[in-house]
Amino acid sequence: MQINKIMAKTISAIFLLLIVCVSIVPFLWVFASSFKSNADIMSAAMGFPNGLKFINYKNAFKLAPIDKFYINSIIVTFFGILLNVTFASAAAYVLSRFSFKGARFLTVMLSMGLFIPGAALLQPLFQIISKANLSNSHAGLVIVYSALGLATTLYVMISYFKTIPKELEESAYIEGSGFVNTFFRIILPLTRPALSTAAVIQFLLCWNEFQFALILTSDNNVRTLPIALYYFKSSFASDYGAMFAATILVICPSIIVFILLQKQVVRGLVAGSVKG
Amino acid sequence: MKVKKRWIIIFLTPAVLLFAFVYLTSLYILVTTSFTDLTAGGGGNFVGLKNYIELFKPASEFWSVLKNNVIWVLLQSTVHVYLGVIVALILARNKWYTSLVRTIYMLPNIISNAALGMLFIFILNPKFGLINNTWRLISGNDAYMQNWFMDPKTAFGSVTMTWLPYAGITAILVMAEMTSIPDSIYEAAIIDGASQLQINMFIVLPLMRNIIGTTTILAASNMLQKLDIILLTTSGGPGTRTTNMPMSIYRTALIDNNYSLANAQGVFLILFGLVAVLLIRKIYRMNENILG
Repeated sequence: MQINKIMAKTISAIFLLLIVCVSIVPFLWVFASSFKSNADIMSAAMGFPNGLKFINYKNAFKLAPIDKFYINSIIVTFFGILLNVTFASAAAYVLSRFSFKGARFLTVMLSMGLFIPGAALLQPLFQIISKANLSNSHAGLVIVYSALGLATTLYVMISYFKTIPKELEESAYIEGSGFVNTFFRIILPLTRPALSTAAVIQFLLCWNEFQFALILTSDNNVRTLPIALYYFKSSFASDYGAMFAATILVICPSIIVFILLQKQVVRGLVAGSVKG
Repeated sequence: MKVKKRWIIIFLTPAVLLFAFVYLTSLYILVTTSFTDLTAGGGGNFVGLKNYIELFKPASEFWSVLKNNVIWVLLQSTVHVYLGVIVALILARNKWYTSLVRTIYMLPNIISNAALGMLFIFILNPKFGLINNTWRLISGNDAYMQNWFMDPKTAFGSVTMTWLPYAGITAILVMAEMTSIPDSIYEAAIIDGASQLQINMFIVLPLMRNIIGTTTILAASNMLQKLDIILLTTSGGPGTRTTNMPMSIYRTALIDNNYSLANAQGVFLILFGLVAVLLIRKIYRMNENILG
């Protein structure tokens, strides 16, 4: 009995150790390599025989306009979150609060996006966005990303609105507060946790999205970070150190946001997974 | 009440318009053009089922694409999900390392796939990559130069490794669900002399059926979305060895410029996804409706 227990403990410890290694070693190795000289990278040296090099980060900015991509990513992500959360929470409020004809139909329709793989819509969206004169613009990406995250934000918000007692609004109405006033002054401040959850999930979507960014943009003034990696894979080819550095620069914001706002990410994933 | 109705409409309109613009319009284009001969150069005449016949004729490349995708869906719905569940079971009921391991395990899931692809390009690089370096050290064979992503023998496995082990989201969702099991159930089982393994097998896992089903759906659907990581690592090659449906759609639409054929694949991809979801729901006997 005791031996079995020790065995089980050992096996699960080894298993966890493996999982941890597989998850973190690639990051650590690339992170460490981003401070190595190209000679050290090529000779597969252990440690830093030529000292820590920060030059790779400088070179990364020289080889590709990473600062520009950063700004693009920030713009697209900021407005992608703003539009998504505003639209979806407004819809979620009325869909969860008032029973009217078609409410259920609309809820199901708006969550349909969860069942449609984005890749299926590559060409149609390419066509729509060009027709609307939005191709190669921040606005085009913002609109697409806001729509992609619509269903998840809707779920997060609906499930939260349901936990707020209706009496709150009723008493507000009795005291003469109007619909809009009640929503913005009384309800919305209460939903701050849900709003931050939705915003974090939407942040990850906008910051990391690749396939639509790839087909809807065509020059560096608009391109976001993930596709920067794709386009500069070849121009970095001679300078691996810079490529390591560029990759780290792209990864960092996601990791920082995740570590700081882990609770929100987990909550959002749980709320979003009712989609099953 | 009149006022309220107006506000309901005003609150709903932006979301509905956004949805209509991005989803309904593109679904309409997707389905209708899949029956035409639309290319980047024009066309758009009705051709009936020609694209679908082209896609599924015996010599079609699409069969090997479909095969790859089916294998990936199956692997991800089983191995990947079970890995996540096992991690969740081990980490359950907060041990000192729970939050640390959980955070680390989530990292590959929260960074962009493009960046994850880059990490793998680096660690699998034939010349200086971590894997080959390590093997050279262990084996003493300095000439070892396995090109993991380009060798037809290892390409599929290498691409699979970029997502198969990373079940952080599964683990987190299962752990969240496990907190809903009352402690009294565990205590009763321990008093009855059940071992940890028995508790997991006969009490926890059956209660987790729904969430495991849900994560299986997430994992399977995820396999119908992977374009970024494939485009970065192998571009679907060598040949079609690592091409999945998204990659095939991308290639058909934006490289071959055959819009209609791409959209026929898109229609098929959506149907494939729906069938997969229904099957998984059936297998895990998930009964509640999509609105939970």
